[in-house]
Amino acid sequence: MLYKTNAKSLLVTIATISWALLLANILLAAESARQPGAVKFALPYINNLFIVVFIVSTFLYHRVNADSLRGIDFIGHLWNLFSKAGVAAYLSLALYIGYNLITSYANIQSPLLLHIVYHVVFGLLVMFLAKAFYVWRQLLLYHKNKFLQIAWNWFELLIGGTLLITVFNFNYTSYIFLPLLALLVFYILFLCTNLKWVAYLSFNNKSRSLVLLGAILLSCYIFFHFFYHTPEKELLVIDYTNIGFLLLAMLFVGMYTLAAFLVSLFSLPTSSVFEQKSEDLINFQRLSQSIQQGQSEPQVYDMLFQSTIKASDANAGWFELVRNGEPQVTHMLNITEDNIERIRYLLLAYDIKYIDYINNNLDRNAGFRDLALPWKSLIILPIKSKQHLFGVLYLMKDIEQGFDRETVNVLRTFTSQTILTIENLRLISESLQTERYKEELKIATQVQESLIPKKFPADSWFEISSHAVAAKEVGGDFYDFLQLSESRIAIIIGDVSGKGISAAFHMAQMKGIFHGLMQQDMAPSEFMRQANSALSRCLEKTSFITSSLYIIDYSMKGFKFARAGHCHTLYYNAMMDEVFYFQTEGLGLGIIRDQNYSKHIKEMYYDYNPGDVMVIYTDGIVEARSIENEEYGEDRLLYMLKQTYHLEADDIKFAIINDLTEFTGPDNLYDDQTLLVIKFKPTELNE
Amino acid sequence: MPMKITREIKDSTIIITLDGELDASSSVMLDEELSDPEIMKYSKILVNCKNLNYISSAGLGVFISHLQRFEDAQIKLIFFNMQDKVRNVFEILGLDLLMTIVSSYDEAMTIADE
Repeated sequence: MLYKTNAKSLLVTIATISWALLLANILLAAESARQPGAVKFALPYINNLFIVVFIVSTFLYHRVNADSLRGIDFIGHLWNLFSKAGVAAYLSLALYIGYNLITSYANIQSPLLLHIVYHVVFGLLVMFLAKAFYVWRQLLLYHKNKFLQIAWNWFELLIGGTLLITVFNFNYTSYIFLPLLALLVFYILFLCTNLKWVAYLSFNNKSRSLVLLGAILLSCYIFFHFFYHTPEKELLVIDYTNIGFLLLAMLFVGMYTLAAFLVSLFSLPTSSVFEQKSEDLINFQRLSQSIQQGQSEPQVYDMLFQSTIKASDANAGWFELVRNGEPQVTHMLNITEDNIERIRYLLLAYDIKYIDYINNNLDRNAGFRDLALPWKSLIILPIKSKQHLFGVLYLMKDIEQGFDRETVNVLRTFTSQTILTIENLRLISESLQTERYKEELKIATQVQESLIPKKFPADSWFEISSHAVAAKEVGGDFYDFLQLSESRIAIIIGDVSGKGISAAFHMAQMKGIFHGLMQQDMAPSEFMRQANSALSRCLEKTSFITSSLYIIDYSMKGFKFARAGHCHTLYYNAMMDEVFYFQTEGLGLGIIRDQNYSKHIKEMYYDYNPGDVMVIYTDGIVEARSIENEEYGEDRLLYMLKQTYHLEADDIKFAIINDLTEFTGPDNLYDDQTLLVIKFKPTELNE
Repeated sequence: MPMKITREIKDSTIIITLDGELDASSSVMLDEELSDPEIMKYSKILVNCKNLNYISSAGLGVFISHLQRFEDAQIKLIFFNMQDKVRNVFEILGLDLLMTIVSSYDEAMTIADE
């Protein structure tokens, strides 16, 4: 930054000094020209050197000083150019008129004064050109590509190169340089086609820019006229018109100004179209952003209605939401409900309902003619996705052919964007809803977990170990126990058909039935009968429950049990050193829902020995599948107990579960799994 | 593997062949099949379980839910050619006492004709 400031002040100083030296030199030359005898010591080379130094330093200053474009404030840029440089021409004009007035009033011929005026105007011209040159550079390179940037760099280099012609005092009009200069002129013409910024001007801005561009053009003309057609030209010792660089720079500035002026002028009538397009774009954007801004569906429909009316320039229209197949008008413009009803009836008669429909000449249709509506074109745009109809948009215009293809395309884009927005809004709210369900399911999981006992009563005569996992958040497996008396305990296991919430409800019901009925201390078969009768009233037709109930009596050293369609109990008899399944009969609960059920339930009593092991489980264990789709099966479970019966209940359970997990592989859980291992301990000697 | 259900009619007997695994999703198909009023015109329903590889509790539930209806209409429901592991599922639940399960087609036809 400091470097830039230093460079700026240095350039200003050089420009000022070179200009002053040049002036002094010219005045000397003029003075010596007046006195024919004097020695001509002012050489053209020195003049040319000063001129070039002045021009270069002024251009460089403006090059460094050029401020970057801020946004699309082109008018500000043009105003800057006019106020800081264009004005110089008018100043020159005033100066020249002032000079003429003074000389004619005083009636004197002062070559010195003329030279001073001429030279001041020259200074102003260079400043004007330098400023204009770099302002146009900014605009020319607006939305530039690499090619354009390179083209410009070459242009700057070439036009700078023409200064050499001046330095060596060649005549640029000589035939050696003419083709070169002609090429440069074509180059300038090519550069003048880069006017992208004009397209960004709105109608108002274009009118304003026309005025400013006109004023700048006039500045160019004043300078040009001054240097080529000043009547006192022959009195001057120096002619700045033979500086090729200035002519080219003037040509560039003038041509570009003219091109911008003409393009602005001719694009004036079409600018409203571009304004409409850019407004459409902004409206699209607003629609698509409405999700992030947390807008609701009515707000989206508001936007749709307003944007489409603006985009199509419709005179009237209405929008109706479709809820449960019934239309409901939410937006109206220049139309009465009465007219809406009449149009609807007519459309219904033509069997036009919720489909794309365009009629650009309503008068040609007898039905519409009879309605005597003030409109001549009608478009119907349903807002519908593949599955869902959200609403219908009707727009009318009072001219024929009101909805041409372009307009219809824009309207369709609006409607499809609206559909997308509405669907996304709904998806978001759905996912929030799902999130809520998940939260509730989590609570259900916690409730269910609290229904399953964590701890069995610890006693000296038996140990019990349990394992339970649910395939989903909530499961249909359950087990529970109830201490009936000091020496008697009831243990129940069960499996509700199906999974998920309904299974979880039935499981809770079963637990309630267990606790309710067992308060009365009944035999297992009686419990099953009563449970079946209770469940028959509430279980849905395709659901059933399998269950086994065991009542273990420590004082009798035996247990009584009944199996209602549940998996067979696996048992190890320590006395006979034998592992087997109890083969008892019993029908699942809820399969027969009348008195006949009692025929299908059996009860069994069994004396246990110390060291006996009982394994109770649900079908999730034996029907668990391996990757190869093989079932774990009763045989493998039996084999496992054979290997492990001598261990403690906990270790037997872990051994079985480990084997099971090894068999199925990790994360291969499709059904709830429950496993209880009960081991009867040897009676302690001191008892 | 999706379930395939095919129907074959012989006089007053309808033979339903189940091919595949009867799980929660395919049991909906089975329920539709058994709910067909057309089925009630026949006096015997034979279910060929030769290629029934697996039956879930949902599948059992479908048979159970239609059991009473067929009984009331005096329509005989007979399963035959059942694989051992499927039969085991029926037996554990106690359904072998409620439903007729025989080993072969011929046997099924003789029972049906009784």
